[in-house]
Amino acid sequence: MKNRSLALIHLLVMGVLFSISASGQDLDSLMEKSVKPQTVYATATFKSTRVVNGHSVERMKKNQLEFRVSHRFGEFNTGSYDFWGLDQGTIHLALEYGLTDWLEVGIGRSTFEKTVDAFTKVSLLRQSNGAKNMPIHLSYLASTEVISLNVDPAMKRNFTSRMSFVQQIMIARKFNESFSLQLTPTYIHRNIVPTEIEHNDLFSLGVGGRYKLSKRIAFNVEYFYVYRGNENAINQPNTGATKYYNPLSVGIDIETGGHVFQIMVTNSQAMREGGFIGKTTGAWGSGGIRLGFNISRVFSFSK
Amino acid sequence: MNKITLIIALSILCFTAGAQNVFITKDAKIIFNSSTPLEDIVAESNQATTVIDIEKNVVKFSVLTTSFKFRRALMEEHFNENYMESAKFPKASFTGKIVTPVDWKSDKSIIADITGTLTMHGVSSEVTVKAKITPGKSKIAASAEFKVTPEAFNIPIPSAVRDKIAKEVTIKIDAVYAPFQQLP
Repeated sequence: MKNRSLALIHLLVMGVLFSISASGQDLDSLMEKSVKPQTVYATATFKSTRVVNGHSVERMKKNQLEFRVSHRFGEFNTGSYDFWGLDQGTIHLALEYGLTDWLEVGIGRSTFEKTVDAFTKVSLLRQSNGAKNMPIHLSYLASTEVISLNVDPAMKRNFTSRMSFVQQIMIARKFNESFSLQLTPTYIHRNIVPTEIEHNDLFSLGVGGRYKLSKRIAFNVEYFYVYRGNENAINQPNTGATKYYNPLSVGIDIETGGHVFQIMVTNSQAMREGGFIGKTTGAWGSGGIRLGFNISRVFSFSK
Repeated sequence: MNKITLIIALSILCFTAGAQNVFITKDAKIIFNSSTPLEDIVAESNQATTVIDIEKNVVKFSVLTTSFKFRRALMEEHFNENYMESAKFPKASFTGKIVTPVDWKSDKSIIADITGTLTMHGVSSEVTVKAKITPGKSKIAASAEFKVTPEAFNIPIPSAVRDKIAKEVTIKIDAVYAPFQQLP
């Protein structure tokens, strides 16, 4: 009888001990279980809404307004008389606003051909893991540019002849905290081009990459291959056509709180797709490159 | 025979007791504030999960750092990218012991000391927090306010923004717990 009650007490003590240790570990697993798996979106795939010249998949979030000032100096090979390009400047001013977290609109004005532009950028897919898995970001850009420069005699003086249209798809992936890569197929239609041999429709494939050197400094490279058929081959001085090059840009992003500075070297003068994809005249090989910078300041209109 | 019945009853009680002494909420509010005269830096998360075990006087918190919402989207991005490194350290957590004895049967508020370990940015640090606890049968309310420094959690503040970010970050917590219901 005594033995039996001892055994029972032993069982009881063991039971109590077991339940205590079980409930101790339970608290953590209980918390884990009660939280639904969350979706974590990849943010800051690029530091700015531009890789260098071209758009990145990044955009302003809802009620955030970005004021962008972009500036390109003259070509380096202009020599000492033009202080290696620093005497000249091309400026682009833009206001860009997030209507929702996935829809951004923007307007801009450039001294390059006195261009006015407006664009819409839509984020269709966001890279994520967790409850929802998505390997890439996918964004779409539609932009219209109007050249208001009046000196080109080839251009008819009606409004539509000044217009060109850009359609762009951006496919990007943030591979890790430092490295992101973007592919940018682009289609540009120009209603009128300066010479007969130039194509009205341009197809281009852009590649952009960024590598973070530190938390606040990133290194970017951007290249657009532009398909021009035999345009450049038959381009001779007597046709009056200009020889165009594929834009290649190398830049550094420096982020300081509310600003992002982008400093770059590029062979493009223009800062909008129609210009830098369609009309890049500088050649890296002959020093036709420029120093430039973009400054971005973000204002929040969220309450 | 009676004893065996008693033991069985007791052990059943032991196993179910684990759930009856636990209170939980999945939407506790955490506000953090590191504002200075130069910049308003306030963020709020309503997605903290927290449990209280009133038998062992243990309290636990867990929150995803990406769940903190800022007024400025850019600030939120920098918070996750540059300071908390949320991709590397997605959660902040706290495990503490309620040191001051609390009469869980009363419904009077009490200011209790809670000592425990706060872990964020991969660094654990001991903190003691004064919390206001209001016990109850069907719910327990708790709130607390305390200060931490970024340095304690190995979060460097660059000199360019040093003046814009408060040296001490104030953290406010508000939670209303309900009895834990066994998951179906």
